[in-house]
Amino acid sequence: MAKTVRAIGIPAPNAGILAGNVLKNLDNPGEEVRFVLSPGAEVGLDAVARKHGYTLEFTKADAAVEARMVPSGKSMEEVDVSGDFCPGPVITVGNILAGLPVGERLKVKSTSADTIADVAAAVTSSGSKVVGEGVEGDRHYLVAEKAEKQAAGAAAAVDRDRVLIVQGNGIGNAERAYATFIFSKVAQSMGRKVTIFLLMDGVSIAKKGNAAAVKHPAFDRLDRLMAEVVAAGATVYACELSAKFRGIEQADLADGVKLAGAATYLQLLSDPAYTVVNF
Amino acid sequence: MSYTTTSRELIDLLGLKGSPVAVKLAKTASDVPAGYQKVPEKSRHCQFVQDARLKGLKGYAAREEHVCKGGAGVMGIEPLPPSVADGSTYHKLGNFKTSEGALDTVTAIPKCAETHYASVYSPLETAEFEPDVVVVVATPRQALRLTQAYLHAAGGRISSDYSGIQSICADAVVAVKERGVPNMTLGCNGSRKNSGIAEDEVIMGIPPKNLAAIVEALKVFAGKWG
Repeated sequence: MAKTVRAIGIPAPNAGILAGNVLKNLDNPGEEVRFVLSPGAEVGLDAVARKHGYTLEFTKADAAVEARMVPSGKSMEEVDVSGDFCPGPVITVGNILAGLPVGERLKVKSTSADTIADVAAAVTSSGSKVVGEGVEGDRHYLVAEKAEKQAAGAAAAVDRDRVLIVQGNGIGNAERAYATFIFSKVAQSMGRKVTIFLLMDGVSIAKKGNAAAVKHPAFDRLDRLMAEVVAAGATVYACELSAKFRGIEQADLADGVKLAGAATYLQLLSDPAYTVVNF
Repeated sequence: MSYTTTSRELIDLLGLKGSPVAVKLAKTASDVPAGYQKVPEKSRHCQFVQDARLKGLKGYAAREEHVCKGGAGVMGIEPLPPSVADGSTYHKLGNFKTSEGALDTVTAIPKCAETHYASVYSPLETAEFEPDVVVVVATPRQALRLTQAYLHAAGGRISSDYSGIQSICADAVVAVKERGVPNMTLGCNGSRKNSGIAEDEVIMGIPPKNLAAIVEALKVFAGKWG
């Protein structure tokens, strides 16, 4: 288990002096230490780490920098899931995390931001934590920290203030396609946050141009309804697997639609804040 | 582990006024050392430290006994009052020109990562428990000797951080407990005005594990420097 030292507000070089002092006085010499610092305070920490036989890794999150001092020779495990698609990355990451002790971390990289978002959902659902996210060159990444899954019943009561609309029929069933976005507008008018998940044939709605071909005399064109709902804040996901199955790529998606994997879908379904509606 | 000899040697070698104070943060009621009773009167953490130092107070203070809610809050004994947590108290008191500066400061103040039931106090020489931190109220010269003694074995530097608020609680206890290294603080308005920290005194929090080496170094210094 790593030791965490919060040292927000202590500038460089004092943060480095403190870090050196902590490393020299560890109860368990050689243990990993994480310093949580204000941005800029990490200057000079690389020299401190080297002097004491540690390597240094940074994770930036919110208004803090986490400087992770790892005994040299032991570094954070990494996996690059670029090119793999749902559910591959989630299964890969889940298998690695399952073998890590509590408190250990795993860096997951991918060229796809959507894949990283899906992995983040899976990590959180499994009870572990996402402690950092960012971009390095052409790779998006997250840092997952293995944690114990909390026992059921520990969660506080939640407001059911979100609506998940699952659409599995697509433009082949115009009534259900319309209902998806009309119900979304109703939910938004009630102050609910709306998430739409298009899967199976439902992903046909997400393909650029398809929704524009659907028009019922009594209603506005489907693509316009969809654009209104997105503009009002709805999140629209298209199942990556269903899209792949139908030859739909990221570039084929209508504006405002993101690819998401099974982990994101399952996390949404298991989130008690959501009321689920199926079309 | 008994610190009777260590404490007496510290007092003699440094010429301390009063005792070093053993402070423990008890996680639960059952974690309070056997035989320790609640402190006789409600007060502030810094006053409990002073009473242990100068009057031999031995006892524990749970949530109800802590009058200074900022001190109790950073030690995890109760949630910080909102006006302390967002800095508005200190902004109103005039410590900070802007509310942003106040918030920046209170955000950075060391806080216990865990919750606690009570803080336990005793003069170090009679403590029947393993302290989390030993608080020494010292003159600058005594603090200099403590610093030199701490660095005697392995060298280096000490970096102390403080902000002029929540000193004997956050700076001298929480920072030391959480980091495992000493910290020195110059006190705060409360500890100076209400708890009797004198004009010529500063406060050091020291991890108990360092005390034996500090005493040995002080003996070396006494032999060399008188």
